[in-house]
Amino acid sequence: MAFNYDKYLRLEKMPTLWCWGCGDGVILKAFVRAIEKMNIAQDDICVVSGIGCSGRFSSYVDFNTVHTTHGRTVAYATGIKLARPDKLVVCVAGDGDALAIGGNHTIHGCRRNIDLTLIIINNFIYGLTNSQTSPTTPRGMWTVSQKAGNIDPTFNTCDLAIAAGASFVARESMIEPKKLEKSLVKAMQHKGFSMMEVLSNCHINLGRKNKMMSAMANLEWIDSITVSKKKYDTLSEEEQLNLLPTGVLKEDTEALEYCEMYAEIQKVHQGQRAKITQADFAKKI
Amino acid sequence: MAASPMVNPGDQPVWVNTDNCKACDICVSVCPSGVLGMRYESTSTLGAMISIDHPEACIGCNECELSCPDFAIFVADRKELKAAGVSFAKLTDDAKTRQAAVIANNYMSLNEQGAK
Repeated sequence: MAFNYDKYLRLEKMPTLWCWGCGDGVILKAFVRAIEKMNIAQDDICVVSGIGCSGRFSSYVDFNTVHTTHGRTVAYATGIKLARPDKLVVCVAGDGDALAIGGNHTIHGCRRNIDLTLIIINNFIYGLTNSQTSPTTPRGMWTVSQKAGNIDPTFNTCDLAIAAGASFVARESMIEPKKLEKSLVKAMQHKGFSMMEVLSNCHINLGRKNKMMSAMANLEWIDSITVSKKKYDTLSEEEQLNLLPTGVLKEDTEALEYCEMYAEIQKVHQGQRAKITQADFAKKI
Repeated sequence: MAASPMVNPGDQPVWVNTDNCKACDICVSVCPSGVLGMRYESTSTLGAMISIDHPEACIGCNECELSCPDFAIFVADRKELKAAGVSFAKLTDDAKTRQAAVIANNYMSLNEQGAK
């Protein structure tokens, strides 16, 4: 049978409120297909989303869903995961949501290495509020808030997550939905904090200011700045400067997971074991 | 309850749900064999709607379905289609030429006259 999306979607909410050609829809589809591949019951998944175009994500999927406040996606999800460690908790946030107002929560989620999957949909702009500069807007691009061109340096989302201690980091773009689906499965199966940056298009708000008025023009631009990690590693430093590698950038299966350690704390309070000391950890500082 | 638009209406290799289509052109741009094109549609927001011009040329690569942001276009399962007595075509030079012509025509179907 051809793939049937009916089961996973809230059909009464269709068609989606996103603009024509918006990458968020492609990511939604890849996510639903990844869930089908993993064969998990719908009641065992919780999707948490914040504010922004990406915040709509939780409205369309028929799982347990929470539409939370701006930037606090990871904070809410941490609470959900600690209360119910047996559930798969997936956070969906945009670049402004996860890196600007919620930047703090994102890095501390990475540091704790709690078993969450954070999907950051990066469209390089604040799309919902009509084209203000976001932390990932490339330098020199024109936005409503920087009409003479953006001078702010750009966040490299994946490098940030690696430095903060996330144990699985990957970057994909919505141009290659098959690769995106595979990476999503890997990210959700990984035990520990997995961060997926998905490059998406916003030809409506990024495009109208930067000569990419159609979805295709914007996708071509994304295609021109991405290169597979395998090829990226063979390039010289000068050639790497304006490119973003795609694929799995970090996978660490050894790192201690937060929920498991939290279970040890519970045991201490129940009198089942002695207090945790530095001797319990291989890496002390 | 009426049959879901996401379920194959019969022996079609590729079918669309025009209620969901927003005419973004992405499916037309990713098709390798010129199956799709846009047609003028006055009731649609962007004035265009997807049309399946050459279903017999569909190779079943699934690219259009995966790249569609709006759950509007679907490709049949290979085995299921075979059971219905239809099979996917092979990619021909003719089809590649047609695809290039559709893209050069601003993603409009070759049956439509004039640029969008």
